[in-house]
Amino acid sequence: MPVQEIHTFLVHPGKSSRDQIEINGAPVDLTGNMFDLLNAIYSKSEEECNIGISFRPNNDGEQQNDCRDLLIGYLKSPSLDSGRLIAERLRENTDGRSGMGLLFLIRGKEGDQHKVVLSRFPTDSAIYVDEDKKQLTVAFLERVFMKNKTSYKAVSYRDRSLGSGGFWTGKAVDRQRSDPATQLSDYWIANFLLSHFALSGAAGTHRFAVALRDAVNKASGEVKHELVAAATLAPNMAGKPTSIDDFADQYNLSAAAREIIVGSLKNPRTSRETFTFDVSEFRNFIAYKSVELDNGAILTAGTEKFDDVFTKKALAKAGEIEYSTHGKIVDEKFKKRL
Amino acid sequence: MKNSKSDFSALEIAYRQRYLTVLKHLELPLQEHVAQYLVEQPRIDRITARAKGIDSFLAKSKNKSKSKLKYSHPLDQIQDQLGVRIITFYLSDVERLDAIVRRYFTPIEYKSRVPDSQWEFGYFGRHYVLVLPTDIIDEDMSPDMLPGFFELQIKTLFQHAWSESEHDLGYKPREAPLTDDQKRRLAFTSAQAWGADRIFNELFDERHSEQSTSNDNTMPAE
Repeated sequence: MPVQEIHTFLVHPGKSSRDQIEINGAPVDLTGNMFDLLNAIYSKSEEECNIGISFRPNNDGEQQNDCRDLLIGYLKSPSLDSGRLIAERLRENTDGRSGMGLLFLIRGKEGDQHKVVLSRFPTDSAIYVDEDKKQLTVAFLERVFMKNKTSYKAVSYRDRSLGSGGFWTGKAVDRQRSDPATQLSDYWIANFLLSHFALSGAAGTHRFAVALRDAVNKASGEVKHELVAAATLAPNMAGKPTSIDDFADQYNLSAAAREIIVGSLKNPRTSRETFTFDVSEFRNFIAYKSVELDNGAILTAGTEKFDDVFTKKALAKAGEIEYSTHGKIVDEKFKKRL
Repeated sequence: MKNSKSDFSALEIAYRQRYLTVLKHLELPLQEHVAQYLVEQPRIDRITARAKGIDSFLAKSKNKSKSKLKYSHPLDQIQDQLGVRIITFYLSDVERLDAIVRRYFTPIEYKSRVPDSQWEFGYFGRHYVLVLPTDIIDEDMSPDMLPGFFELQIKTLFQHAWSESEHDLGYKPREAPLTDDQKRRLAFTSAQAWGADRIFNELFDERHSEQSTSNDNTMPAE
């Protein structure tokens, strides 16, 4: 059986609080319904956790990270004491908005690799109903911990070495990160795990912008219009975590449009990788939109302003368009080539 | 891993396979991947990428720390199996390129390498351990064969010239170690390279500021 140890801790919010509530923990038996649930989380963690992350170096740029140190300490010597140190770190980074949570540390071995999954179930209230032939019993339950809530968080690490060089990257899931109402995107990955996305915002946006630009150049007809419209709207993603697949979902791109973007990537699998959208990087590639007409005219304007600058009217003759604009002439140029 | 001949022989087989099937094939894509972010940058002499040679990897895997082997899992722990070097002209260029590297790559380590004491001269340069970009990975490459990281160095021309010569003279397998006098003479060359870098950078700054002043003075009045 891959899972070798499970510990759980009740973690109260303790960020910016002088009076820290003591953390209680317990080992979890490796049999029964509870184990089945946690074993499923452990087994599916690599599918469910889809955000590549990497621990940050310390402020001196050295390969040392306080959260990783605690994780390695737990993996080398799994116990309530070594696990509690991780729970205490979570408490120090949890504020009232995240509330109380139940932390599970699930340690296992996969062949010659060590694996650990950290999973935080948020607290909630619920109504318990018991039904028998004669009556229905209803009770209010506090402190119910549910996985299927929007704020469930987990992270999975797997590596051969517990020494230097091992356990620097992992995969996380943070269902709260894109919720603008809570503004808690930094809580799990940046603050508690002291990590960043494995793909930098600038690199992810650069990759996306190049693929989108190439896709527009390759596409024709409706798909081309769809991609141009998506490129025009993309700056609305500024500062948000996304992936190329997420972007395609958000703008409801057709299968053909998705295919041409993904086909423009050097490695198609990278469309799943999460990064923070960097609008300045995006504008380096998609700064201007040009429309070329069959009469030889070429109209160019800033991508985001194009539809404001040019008025477009469909003419009676099929497929013919009239563009119009007005303004003062500030410059005129000859160009060798476009 | 225990310090036995059979372990090192198994390691050699495993690394040779990785070297031939994956690392050598990643040299050019990695070099091109780094270069795409530096296309518009001035004063870059060259960008090179290399897979760590088999002998060099095996020698490193035998390194010891406090009389124990430093790496229990060398294939996972040695982080310069792929290395990139950016060679630029002046010390101030290194700072400019540092910002670009840290914008586009994800570091687990970054540092300026300097000798331990101010009385010593040796290896200088900017060094990073970065997450390997997945853009360069072919779909048919097994994840088990891939290193998680690569090393990137930014060096001036003088730092590069010194470290290449020093490596050639000092790390030849099966040759006697350098004598104290030879080490002292190498330190002397490092000091000279260090001085040349400083002077060139000062000259560049002076010429650059003179040019800016001259351009300001020739600006037409509005």
